[in-house]
Amino acid sequence: MIVPRLEQYRHVLREYMFPWRNRVLLLALMLFTSIGLQLVNPQILRLFIDTAIDSGNNLTTGGTLWPVPDNTMHELLMVALLFIAVAILQQLVAVGAVYFGEDVGWKATNKLRSDLADHCLRLDMSFHHQRTPGEMIERVDSDVTQIANFFSQFVVIILANILLLAGVVAMIFRENTITGVIMAVYALFTLWALNAVRSLAIPAWGSAREASASFYGFLEEQLSGTEDTRASGAVPWTLRNFARLMYFRLRSEQKASVMNAAIFGVVAFCAILGLGISLVAGYLLYQQGLITLGTIFLFVTYTHILVRPMRELTMQVQELQKAGAGIGRVIELLNIKTKIEDGRGVPVPPGPLDVEFADVTFAYNDREVVLQDVDFHLEPGKVLGLLGRTGSGKTTISRLLFRLYDPVEGSVRLGGTDLREASLQQLRQRVGIVTQDVQLFRASVRDNLTFFDDSIPDERIHEAIHDLGLGPWLAQLPEGLDTRIESGGRGLSAGEAQLLAFTRVFLKDPGLVILDEASSRLDPLTEHRIERAIDKLLHRRSGIIVAHRLATVQRSDEIMVIDKGCIIEHDSRARLAADPDSRFSHLLRTGLEEALA
Amino acid sequence: MKDWQIVLQLIRFRPGLFGITILFATLGQLAQQAPALVTREFFNVLTDSAPVRFDLWALVALLAASGLAEIVVRFGVSWTRATFQFTVMALMRLNVFRHVLNQPGARPMPTSPGESISRFGGDLDEIGMFFRLLEMLVGHWIASLVAVYIMVSINPLIAVVAFTPLLLVALIANLTHQRVQHYRRVRRRAAARVVGFVAETFGAAQSVKVAGREEPVIREFQRLNEVRRVAALKDRVFEEVQRSTYYNAVNIGTGIVLILSASAMRDGSFTLGDFALFVFYLERMTQFMRMFGFSLSRYKQIGISIDRVEWLLGGAPRQIMVEHNPVWLDGNLPGIPKVSIGDDDRLHTLEIEGLSYQHPGSQNGIDNINLRLERGTFTVVTGRIGAGKTTLLRTLQGLLPPDRGEIRWNGAPVEHLAEFFVPPHTAYTPQVPRLFSDPLRDNILMGIPEKDADVPEAIRSAVMERDLKELDEGLDTLVGPRGVRLSGGQMQRTAASRMFVREPELLIFDDLSSALDVETEQRLWNRVFARDGATCLAVSHRKAALRRADQIIVMKDGRIHAQGRLDDLLQHCSEMQRLWEGHFSEEARNGNGATLQPAATP
Repeated sequence: MIVPRLEQYRHVLREYMFPWRNRVLLLALMLFTSIGLQLVNPQILRLFIDTAIDSGNNLTTGGTLWPVPDNTMHELLMVALLFIAVAILQQLVAVGAVYFGEDVGWKATNKLRSDLADHCLRLDMSFHHQRTPGEMIERVDSDVTQIANFFSQFVVIILANILLLAGVVAMIFRENTITGVIMAVYALFTLWALNAVRSLAIPAWGSAREASASFYGFLEEQLSGTEDTRASGAVPWTLRNFARLMYFRLRSEQKASVMNAAIFGVVAFCAILGLGISLVAGYLLYQQGLITLGTIFLFVTYTHILVRPMRELTMQVQELQKAGAGIGRVIELLNIKTKIEDGRGVPVPPGPLDVEFADVTFAYNDREVVLQDVDFHLEPGKVLGLLGRTGSGKTTISRLLFRLYDPVEGSVRLGGTDLREASLQQLRQRVGIVTQDVQLFRASVRDNLTFFDDSIPDERIHEAIHDLGLGPWLAQLPEGLDTRIESGGRGLSAGEAQLLAFTRVFLKDPGLVILDEASSRLDPLTEHRIERAIDKLLHRRSGIIVAHRLATVQRSDEIMVIDKGCIIEHDSRARLAADPDSRFSHLLRTGLEEALA
Repeated sequence: MKDWQIVLQLIRFRPGLFGITILFATLGQLAQQAPALVTREFFNVLTDSAPVRFDLWALVALLAASGLAEIVVRFGVSWTRATFQFTVMALMRLNVFRHVLNQPGARPMPTSPGESISRFGGDLDEIGMFFRLLEMLVGHWIASLVAVYIMVSINPLIAVVAFTPLLLVALIANLTHQRVQHYRRVRRRAAARVVGFVAETFGAAQSVKVAGREEPVIREFQRLNEVRRVAALKDRVFEEVQRSTYYNAVNIGTGIVLILSASAMRDGSFTLGDFALFVFYLERMTQFMRMFGFSLSRYKQIGISIDRVEWLLGGAPRQIMVEHNPVWLDGNLPGIPKVSIGDDDRLHTLEIEGLSYQHPGSQNGIDNINLRLERGTFTVVTGRIGAGKTTLLRTLQGLLPPDRGEIRWNGAPVEHLAEFFVPPHTAYTPQVPRLFSDPLRDNILMGIPEKDADVPEAIRSAVMERDLKELDEGLDTLVGPRGVRLSGGQMQRTAASRMFVREPELLIFDDLSSALDVETEQRLWNRVFARDGATCLAVSHRKAALRRADQIIVMKDGRIHAQGRLDDLLQHCSEMQRLWEGHFSEEARNGNGATLQPAATP
């Protein structure tokens, strides 16, 4: 757990608050006004008391802010009304301050959320494979929400209360220097004590948040896998895991609650201490005739006012702690660097692309070599059929082509450009892929096709769909492009989901198309319907078809068979099929055996 | 069941703990009122306006004692509160989660997982927070009664007049609760959408990356965040206006006290000490009134939250949320009941009669399915996409609730499908199996004690032994969220091992072909039928399966189109011919085509 230093708070403040400096200034103005009004009201009370007691005792006093009036009852009434007016004005200003504080807080943190999501989305896949979507919710949203409290409440409450504290001390100074000094020491002591408890509590909050994050990560996964859980009779087991996570969460929540109590304990102690000081000081000064009764009351009121900022400061210290934990985690996240750095932008040429793997060796981690000295070249416009059993490295080859990973040794070139030198954005525009697992958003068909890019006009989408021969499919959607897709693509057949994926690729007009077992889950008839779309997609483009099944590589010019990360054979389809000793023709025979039995 | 009954039911779950929390909270409130009494005595001593009961130092000592008491009580309340709140929320979470698990598993959740989580999280926390308000409310009530008693005994008139704003505020709170509810609902909805979008985006990270569409996706995220900002702002400012109203009511009250006490103070019937006490107690009353109004509006808010959580129950009675069940928070986790099968229960025949299910809001589904399976046979369901093959498997197992039909196991009708069609009766591998972020071993066993299971044999049956050797840490390999560190085929075979390890009477497979190559699938069938007396029901297009089948069910448009052995069907059933040829035409073409002649000769 990282305990963030002040430096880091400052950095976050500077980065995300500065654009809103005008609103922050306005906010500050309102806060000053509100604080000023809060300091005035006790003075009004003193005036009232001294006037009332004076007129009762007929004694003269000095040191009040206002001259003692003659028409006492009338004046007392006016003073009371003034008190009400000031109080209401102060409340109005306070509401305004909340508005601006909250507004700036959300604006600033929304920027942070978006920066964070952007950063994470651009991290390489090894990052994403380690994290559940549930965990990402915690990291990108919940942690930042904690920081939002920091933004909106730090200024409104912490700063305001510190100013109020200073103002109160200054007002007491005006009355009596020694009491002022004592109060200043008292205020400093209080702030010190609060700060000391704060650093004790941050780790407890951090572990509470971690327990909560792992709980939600578990929950997210479970909620999307209930079919498997049920069908495996594993409900009791899952409940047991659920209960275990709850148990850990409770323990961490309890520890955090003790920390809360410690913080409140310090506040309570300081409040009583303050009252004691003002009573004793007031008593002694009054005995010496240095102050009036009204001034003692003023002391007591001011010290009482001090309690509130301290209380709220403490509550905000809690928020700060949470924000602190949040900022720590956010900074940790921002510090994760992608292993895939964007290239310097050597362009990938237009048109069909030739593909070159030059002695590529690749491993996801240090031990397990997935590709070993893979070396091949595919002419532009040709189609390569990639065969191999599950786990042989086929999918890895397509991942390397998108530069989701970099080869450990060797290089991958598209149209002669080393992928590490191309800009990622442009590279991924020039390569398209259709996989069997189509990931969808809970949004309209249009947004799912364009990934929310509203710069793509509907005409282009319609054109792409019709070019792919999917017009009839679009026509039968109840609301056309506005048809909403439910979460996880529910209500959509696997075939339809893949039609969406085809259109996605077609919309970006790539020079290389990868079909990764694209038609494997389609029944023969739907598959036939998609054949034409594939033809269209591969027309005047290079293609790589990754497949288990011979049927799907029928349209390829070349065949490459890989096993355990090595190329076993690579030649034209015709030649391999004609060679009785080739692995490919062996595979064909396995297929034929089936066909003739 | 009304909202308040739900709250009450939760309190009844841990009444002792709640009682102690309330007690501590009340003592804490009372302790906070002591300093005002001390201050009153102090001023009375100074002005000689009452018989002197204490000297200065005695008052200081009293003050210290009240402070100490407050600190002690704070520690107590903090612990009991956290424990109570967490415990009752754990009860609700467990109840809802258990209910969700016991729902027909294939029926979609009413919301996306991301949104469900916001209901499991934020909304349930909101309900938990209410208890804190409740506890403060009780503490404030009692403390306020004490305060009111003291004030009235000092000067009834001033006291009563000072309280009038309270009524006003309660009125305002009541008048505005509709809007509170509205703003809160809008805010929650906007927040849930943001959360759901994050889950979707990172669930689809790879798609977004390969499409190179990070920018527009982030722009959409920004738009959703902006919607939430506006909603949150309205909600928060409105809340603040309410808060401010309470303060103003009390400030006006204090002003009234000032006006009324002016003459009384001059003639000495209302001392400066009394005045100090009134002013401080009125401020305490502010807190009370605010809490009161706040709790009132918060109560409406928990109404919203309860509704949102109830949504997860998918229409089941809301009592389920608060049923008293063990929560195992003492660390003694629940055991996992051992399941075994009696000899009577061993499968001889399974009969399906008139089974029908229609997907809500669509014409798709299955209609009037009749089917009979014998022990030791292999039944393959085939048909084009959308023919209802998966729906048939799911409905049979109660993963979808059938509209009509009867299922008989050894001649006896099965009442509760979902409870019956689980191991050791049946086990199932869906088309896209889900794995969880656990070691591979746990993903296979899912709670079965390892000593009771033959994991190596299950892995061998699933043709996974070679993959296992290649995995870094074998069975201890962490498979990553949803199993992403495994390939699609490995995930499917893990799910198959999960079936085998349960030694079910009937094995049910949805299409394996999407993730398994021909050879692996063939080997898998060989190993399945090497198992003793294996009975199997599978959706497949693959020849290896079709040829091995004892009966083939050809489905079309949700009905059984034809049924029989492969040879017969190929002769008489055009749909079967089309499926067979459509699927294998390319292989056939390759095989018989001119370029491939040497290899093609059988």
